[in-house]
Amino acid sequence: MAKITIDGKEIECRDGVPVLQAALDAGWDIPHYCYHPGLSVVASCRLCLMEMQLPHPQTREMGWVPKLFPSCQTPVKDGMIVRFDSDKVRDNHESCLEFYLLDHPLDCPVCDQAGECYLQDYSFKFGHAESRMVDQKLVNPKKDIGPRTLLYMDRCVNCTRCVRFTDEVTGTGELCVVNRGSRAEIDVFPGIPLDNPMQGNVVDICPVGSLLDKDFLFKQRVWFLKGADSICPGCSAGCAIRVDQNENTIYRLKPRYNPDVNDWWMCDEGRFGFKYVHDDARLTRPRLRRGAEAESPLWEAIPEVVRVRLDQQVAKHGGAKVAAVLSPMMSCEEAWLLAKIIREAAPEATLASGFVPVDGEDQHFPIGASLAEAKFTIRNEKCPNARGVATIVDRAGGDTCDFDGFVERMTAGDFSAVWIVGGYPTEWVSKELAKAAKKVEFLVVQDMFENDLTKAAEVVLPAYAWAERDGSFMNHSGKIQLFHRAIDTSDAGKRDGQYLFEIAGCDGLYSGQRVRELMADKIEEFRAVAETPKAPVHQH
Amino acid sequence: MSEYEPILLRNAGVEDIRSLKVYQSRGGYGAAAKALKMTPDEVIEEVKKANLRGRGGAGFPAGVKWTFLPKDRKRTLLCVNFDESEPPTFCNRVLVEVDPHQFIEGIIIAGFATQAQVAYVYMRVEFHEQFHIVQRAIDEAYEAGLLGKNILGSGYDLDVYTHRGAGAYVCGEETGLIESIEGKRGEPRIKPPFPALEGLFRLPTVVNNVETLANLPHIIERGADWFQSIGTTSSAGPKLFCVSGPVNRPGCYEAAMDITCEELIMGDKFGRGMRDGRSVKAVFPGGLSMGVLKADELKMKMDFDDPRNFGLLGLGTAAAVVVNMDTDIRDVLRNVSRFYSHESCGQCTQCREGTSWMYKMASRIAMGAGRVEDLDLLEQVANRMGMMPGLSICGLPDGAAFPIRGLVQKFRSEFEEHIRNQPPQRAEQLLSVLN
Repeated sequence: MAKITIDGKEIECRDGVPVLQAALDAGWDIPHYCYHPGLSVVASCRLCLMEMQLPHPQTREMGWVPKLFPSCQTPVKDGMIVRFDSDKVRDNHESCLEFYLLDHPLDCPVCDQAGECYLQDYSFKFGHAESRMVDQKLVNPKKDIGPRTLLYMDRCVNCTRCVRFTDEVTGTGELCVVNRGSRAEIDVFPGIPLDNPMQGNVVDICPVGSLLDKDFLFKQRVWFLKGADSICPGCSAGCAIRVDQNENTIYRLKPRYNPDVNDWWMCDEGRFGFKYVHDDARLTRPRLRRGAEAESPLWEAIPEVVRVRLDQQVAKHGGAKVAAVLSPMMSCEEAWLLAKIIREAAPEATLASGFVPVDGEDQHFPIGASLAEAKFTIRNEKCPNARGVATIVDRAGGDTCDFDGFVERMTAGDFSAVWIVGGYPTEWVSKELAKAAKKVEFLVVQDMFENDLTKAAEVVLPAYAWAERDGSFMNHSGKIQLFHRAIDTSDAGKRDGQYLFEIAGCDGLYSGQRVRELMADKIEEFRAVAETPKAPVHQH
Repeated sequence: MSEYEPILLRNAGVEDIRSLKVYQSRGGYGAAAKALKMTPDEVIEEVKKANLRGRGGAGFPAGVKWTFLPKDRKRTLLCVNFDESEPPTFCNRVLVEVDPHQFIEGIIIAGFATQAQVAYVYMRVEFHEQFHIVQRAIDEAYEAGLLGKNILGSGYDLDVYTHRGAGAYVCGEETGLIESIEGKRGEPRIKPPFPALEGLFRLPTVVNNVETLANLPHIIERGADWFQSIGTTSSAGPKLFCVSGPVNRPGCYEAAMDITCEELIMGDKFGRGMRDGRSVKAVFPGGLSMGVLKADELKMKMDFDDPRNFGLLGLGTAAAVVVNMDTDIRDVLRNVSRFYSHESCGQCTQCREGTSWMYKMASRIAMGAGRVEDLDLLEQVANRMGMMPGLSICGLPDGAAFPIRGLVQKFRSEFEEHIRNQPPQRAEQLLSVLN
């Protein structure tokens, strides 16, 4: 730890970090564009300049140096004395912000970034209301640089964060700077659009409205969006994200900083993978079949019906004929509740961990990096909680098996009552599974979309999307992370956790915390869940 | 001014001097042979004693620059700055055209002193003919064992490569030059680390100007004391001066640094006065970037120190461009600001936006729609762009601010008169179109 003095206040900071980072960590709002903790330092925006004390060359007496230093490029040293609260620094803020707005079109009313734009914020805080330039603005072009991204060069502040991102994090290098001076532009090479699995991050790191997400373009004013801290369910990496919604519609997902998992980034697959949440084809009501007829019972009737029928099955065929499949799309809490329901109804019952969708190999970035060198990894397990569910099945003890074993045994006619949980955003039921399901007398299916299983089921319970639920996922490395509800269920539907809670015989409202307290007695890991560290407020 | 015997251009006019044989017949490569028998530290000491200040513009002592190299380095690279991108400057070009082997000899001495294994000669893309001259001289030197392995039996190896730029002014800045050699976009790097510690390919690197290197053979041959005897103590040694514009004899001339700007323009051995007897209005004495002199300031000495007394940034490249009485000062301003607006690399905000804003104002004033407040604004923009050190990564915005601020300050009354006399209707019309 080093001790440095900023504006007369002594702070402690990590050794070797840039002064800018130390100041941001300690709560100073230092304007900056080009600096990003995840990228190399270019010190070109010249906004974060500071004054520094150095020993006089002859007298060795400490004094303020007439020159300004870029705080992003100056590492902290023990005993360093710097200041941002000075006329020189303020003059520089003022002139820089005037310069930035000279050729800017000031089209904030139609800009997606408005409301979270650092050109607006810094101009408001440090700049002028009027431009002294009477000459014509130089207009750099708007460009379509890739299938998902637009570049409005007229709003650009030339911080080159996006260029460094594609060079250093993805290693794909699609972006570059062309031309010089005020004609300098970010661009792609002819015929090579910005199209890599992580390109969406360039929109996040753009401090102004220059890089735009086509998916979000003109959809929503950002000040109407409310964010919920969440975990991306797209793969087993468990990236920290924020779900931005307004009136129960999700408009976008943004990564949150988590140095243990995803740093500042997320992949496009996760970022744009939420669309199924608003699919009209989703199951939203419970369904009960008596003979050939299907009915839609009240939510309140469900616990009773399910438990009575399950007990009947146990009485008729014995507990060993009962099985449940715990999906890796479930939260740890839901999986544990279902295990509890099944084992309480029939201690000899079989618990199986659910189908894990796998797509190719893990993808490491920068492209070509090994696992150890990787700055970011997209996992091939396309579900958030495979390890969590496997842990719960394992700790439940008794008769357990994996998914393939379960399908085999069901095909062999080993089970008469089966509870299968899906909840996958895409079609997942294999022919074998659908065929085997027909041999079961009592089938409960908890799923998101209609499929061959739900058609065969006696009880169908809607599985809700992760953004409608809360709980925790255990990622590939065993880290248990919380995700919070972002939107309400449609038609006042009961969320998975709530109906499982009720079927398990618990009273009142489900909450992840209540269930984790129950779980912690049996499974030590759930006593503590990982908290995502907070990024500094003024960092962007 | 005392009688002056040319040193750097002593071989000018000698027939076939570009060939190795002729150069050697006039004592060429004797200094290199002498240096290779000394130790590198002795060479550095001699150059430090001579106080050879860099001829590229900043005037930093070359010997001192070499001592910044880390002692425990394994590899060292030498970059020769032959970009010569400063407007009205052509000293290096003349030097290389006249006497290419003198330049190669300088590379060998500097390379040996810094123990560099490789030297890169970085030249601007417009140097087509000069490229062939340099390449031919290098090839000849290789054949004669003056470059490559075991130079003159000394055990010292040096490879020399030529590298051509792509036409950027900033690549004359040493770190811009390094980036360009690395094949990247020509943009100056942030310092620290300085090139001596981490330069080309992240190795310890020395960047020296062509003229600096051309002085080395003479220092080694005749000694530091002789070198010190030329010119003044702080500005010692021979120097090439360019003079261009409407003078009777524009060209590149050699002199000691006790010459005045007036002598350079009017002297019989130099510019021989103004063409058609017109009088001088303004002079940019050190390349564009150093600033501007008025007609009554021509007594300025062309050394490393005196220019500061006249509100200039420094000696620069010692290339004077003269503006005569007939020239509209508004056109001068427009032309100067256009250059920097065009050449700013675009990294740093102040420079990118400031140079382009100043150009916009300057062209509007030249079109006849100037306002008196534009003059204040030009000064303010210049001050906010490059007057305070540390505002930007390299010195380009300082180089842009000095001549523009100098023009506005020193010729303010002339600008104001133009603005007073511009047809008001046209000015209003132009301004309303812009608004």
